[in-house]
Amino acid sequence: MPELTSVQSLAELRRQITARRASFKTTITICGGTGCSASGSQPVVEALRRELAGRGLQNTVLLRTTGCHGFCEQGPLMVIDPGGIFYCHVTPDDAAEIVARTVVEGQVVERLLYTDPVSGRKIRTESEIPFYKAQNRVLLSLNRLVDPTSIEDYIAIGGYAALEKVLAGMKPEEVIEQIKASGLRGRGGGGFPTGRKWESCRAAHGSPKYVVCNADEGDPGAYMDRSLLEGNPHSVLEGMIIGAYAIGASHGFIYVRREYPLAVKHARQAVEQAREYGLLGKNILGTGFSFDVEIARGGGAFVCGESTALMASLEGRPGEPRAKDVHTVEAGYRNKPTNLNNVETWANVPHIINRGAQWFAAMGTEGSKGTKIFALTGRVRNTGLVEVPMGTALRTIVFDIGGGPSNGAAIKAVQTGGPSGGCLPAEKFDLPVDFEALDQAGSMVGSGGMVVMDEHTCMVDVARYFLEFLLDESCGKCVPCRLGIDRMLEILNDITAGRGTPQQIELLEDLAQTVAQASLCGLGKTAPNPVLSTLRYFRHEYEAHIRDRKCPAGVCRALISYSIDAAKCTGCGVCAAACPSGAISGAKKQPHTIDAGKCTRCGICRSECRFNAIMVA
Amino acid sequence: MHSDRLESLLENSRGRPDRLIEVLLDVQDSEGYISEHAMRRIAQVLGVPLMNVYSAATFYKAFSLTPRGKHTCTVCMGTACHVRGAPLLLHELEGQLGVLPGMTTPDGLFTVERVNCVGACAMGPVVILDGAYRHHMTPAALRKVIRQLRKAEGQAEVKTNA
Amino acid sequence: MERTITITIDGAKLRVPEGTSVLEAAIRYGICIPHLCHMHGISDIGACRLCVVEHVKNGRSRVTASCTLEARDGMDIRANSPRIRHIRRNIAELLVAEAPNSRAIQDIAVRCGVKNVRYPFRNSNCVLCGKCVRICAEHLHANAIGFAGRGRNRKVVFPFGTRPEFCRLCGMCITHCPMTIPPCDGPMRPGQERLCGKCESQLQINEKFDIVGMCTWCDLGKGFQCGRYAGAR
Repeated sequence: MPELTSVQSLAELRRQITARRASFKTTITICGGTGCSASGSQPVVEALRRELAGRGLQNTVLLRTTGCHGFCEQGPLMVIDPGGIFYCHVTPDDAAEIVARTVVEGQVVERLLYTDPVSGRKIRTESEIPFYKAQNRVLLSLNRLVDPTSIEDYIAIGGYAALEKVLAGMKPEEVIEQIKASGLRGRGGGGFPTGRKWESCRAAHGSPKYVVCNADEGDPGAYMDRSLLEGNPHSVLEGMIIGAYAIGASHGFIYVRREYPLAVKHARQAVEQAREYGLLGKNILGTGFSFDVEIARGGGAFVCGESTALMASLEGRPGEPRAKDVHTVEAGYRNKPTNLNNVETWANVPHIINRGAQWFAAMGTEGSKGTKIFALTGRVRNTGLVEVPMGTALRTIVFDIGGGPSNGAAIKAVQTGGPSGGCLPAEKFDLPVDFEALDQAGSMVGSGGMVVMDEHTCMVDVARYFLEFLLDESCGKCVPCRLGIDRMLEILNDITAGRGTPQQIELLEDLAQTVAQASLCGLGKTAPNPVLSTLRYFRHEYEAHIRDRKCPAGVCRALISYSIDAAKCTGCGVCAAACPSGAISGAKKQPHTIDAGKCTRCGICRSECRFNAIMVA
Repeated sequence: MHSDRLESLLENSRGRPDRLIEVLLDVQDSEGYISEHAMRRIAQVLGVPLMNVYSAATFYKAFSLTPRGKHTCTVCMGTACHVRGAPLLLHELEGQLGVLPGMTTPDGLFTVERVNCVGACAMGPVVILDGAYRHHMTPAALRKVIRQLRKAEGQAEVKTNA
Repeated sequence: MERTITITIDGAKLRVPEGTSVLEAAIRYGICIPHLCHMHGISDIGACRLCVVEHVKNGRSRVTASCTLEARDGMDIRANSPRIRHIRRNIAELLVAEAPNSRAIQDIAVRCGVKNVRYPFRNSNCVLCGKCVRICAEHLHANAIGFAGRGRNRKVVFPFGTRPEFCRLCGMCITHCPMTIPPCDGPMRPGQERLCGKCESQLQINEKFDIVGMCTWCDLGKGFQCGRYAGAR
């Protein structure tokens, strides 16, 4: 393990690594991210290793397990270079054929190729797949090229070159100017101009100074940060080291949600390796700049994504936020100047340094520069991580990249910004993903979660779901959040149970304004957003629940009833066996019936019926 | 909890109140829960008032103050999993095991948990069974898994129809 | 030598020592800003949000709690704008719907202009102001009670639910609890921060308790030789 004691030695090491790898003719890349691991990518890796060893190919074929490629539903994913041949749903049994046909003979295995769900065609390479093609994967494309547990992989593709550039000849103020000129804004949801934040922290009084990477990623439905930290932890680290240098910080933390054990593991390994190579610790690359990083785990609290709560957690206390009249850049961790940025924000830094602020600013809109990663999920065909330039229309993301509706049901809305964001209806899909544009429309870019909803989603239920989530996650300190969200949920529960009154809508709107203005922290302040945006765009659904006691989407249990269509029912009995309330009865091969008195409308029967015989009214 | 094991977990944290959350996480991972004894010892070694240890242990969802069951079944209730029917899975577990999230079956075999997002959103609904991620779960698949686990524990199958 | 600074609250110029909170500055000068979780001598946490004010800066106005806002020279504060009154009324309404049987909270609600309560009444005996916790930690240095849980489940408890050996039975927690403050007997005396609406209060009192509007029989009383608990028997 070479400990690098000068900037030049890092460049030299890069040359050596590249030379060492020239002997590998073929590279097989397998995605080992959380998603593909869940689908069984590990056994595939084992099978390939055995197959390659059996054929004596281990010295000419490089087998690399990488982090998340972002197309999780197609996993386990594999890419073979040269050529970029893309295989999906790979199983261990395919290993032999893949090695024999593709690696040795250079032929594709047709059945493993990706089939475009819209055109029905088989597609050969990753770059031709519509899901990837329409994206601009500045950050995510690197996941494909590195084994996250190998610092040398990262160095080989140019990693830490930005750090070299900075330490070789840039003053801290110059670094800050570059970040300011790029227009980079916080990617965690706040959208605060990053350069200005660094500048304020640099100017603040107090020592030591700290930098923090917020990898708490609490928004349900968002996993961009997981993918970056799991898949390319060194890119985040490099950004932090550069930031620490610019700000004058000597210590840093990466605060990772404990629900991401693989990200914790890879981050820890990356820090250890960086230390071994002299890229962290005292006198980095012999320049006299010292900086080290510690990994801290979250304890399971969404509120710890809020900067002051996160810092309270780092200090060993419950994650209760404090007032932000004094910002954390002036007094944060242990009351010292602390610069906190999101994972994706940090990951953008090396690119900006390497390719220049102008390159970054050339992408995006007037107010929102660069690219943004979204986690596109829900009722859409292609779910996964989507990286696009800011300013891309929602329609492009949902239809061109996402492939449109997954179930044939019309897409009704897209929810962005997690529990702090809002729901935008299909009529608004021409809106660009831009901080100001989405704010004005009543939603927000947020951290990147984008959940697609169709006509089977009840928007009142969605508002209720988010309130329940936020009430569960509230720290409980302040009245508007603890009691206010509780009372808003009480009203939503009344409405979804068929007890709603029109006066409650007025009360909801009044209370929402108070909660938004008076809450202590961002959780409470943004809690009313899902309610307010659904009231703005889907008021007719609220009115149906209140006036007609109906749930148009067929979701709210108190307002629907299940019945069996005798014409379609084959009497297979699957529903009766599945019913947890024993509400379904019928003789074998005879149409079954549902006892409305026992039925709790849980929906399990409908999810299991293969004949579409269960009806909701 | 075995005192040697607890002491070794506290080794690097003597006089370090800032290490409270990390230490509690280590104890939780090692023992499956945080006992009163462990909390008292942590308070002593780290130099944190006992009340503050208790506050932290009850604030964060990661910590359980009662022993967990032999098998833990965690259902992800994030937005993407929610719109794909995750509530059905909780309902199924309630019917099968008779416990709500956060509770353990009286025989100490199963603990049901809900978590607000594990970041595998494209693969939802996600259930984590004893640490293994199961994706695209359905009530039927979950029923099957519980049945298998029960069989392995020598339990009779539970008929849920009243 | 302490530095004094000048701030403006609703047009009035106040000179206070550096480091004073906006709320303390107001109290010092007799400007009425309702509050519940503030108490002179212990730290401020900004939990009740009753003391919110508008902090006007660069043409923009920010709603923030005055107890946690440190007064800075030249600050422009609006403590009684229609917007602030509306917010305070709504917060007081939430509190009184939660704990109607607290005289202090009823008084605050009346003073904040709550005319009707639009939520179903509940009957909590604690509104989590945290005065007891802070007094025990910061004055007595005992840390015998504290917060457990979070969100709706947040409670004030003893560690593990039983009164610890190191609790000194001083009774300070009960003395300062707003749920047990008796109503005043006349006009408000200087230095008394409680807002009294005894004669104005028409709000619902829980009929279960025949003791005239005082003790709420909170759980903390059970472990102590609580005078009110004992007196009632």
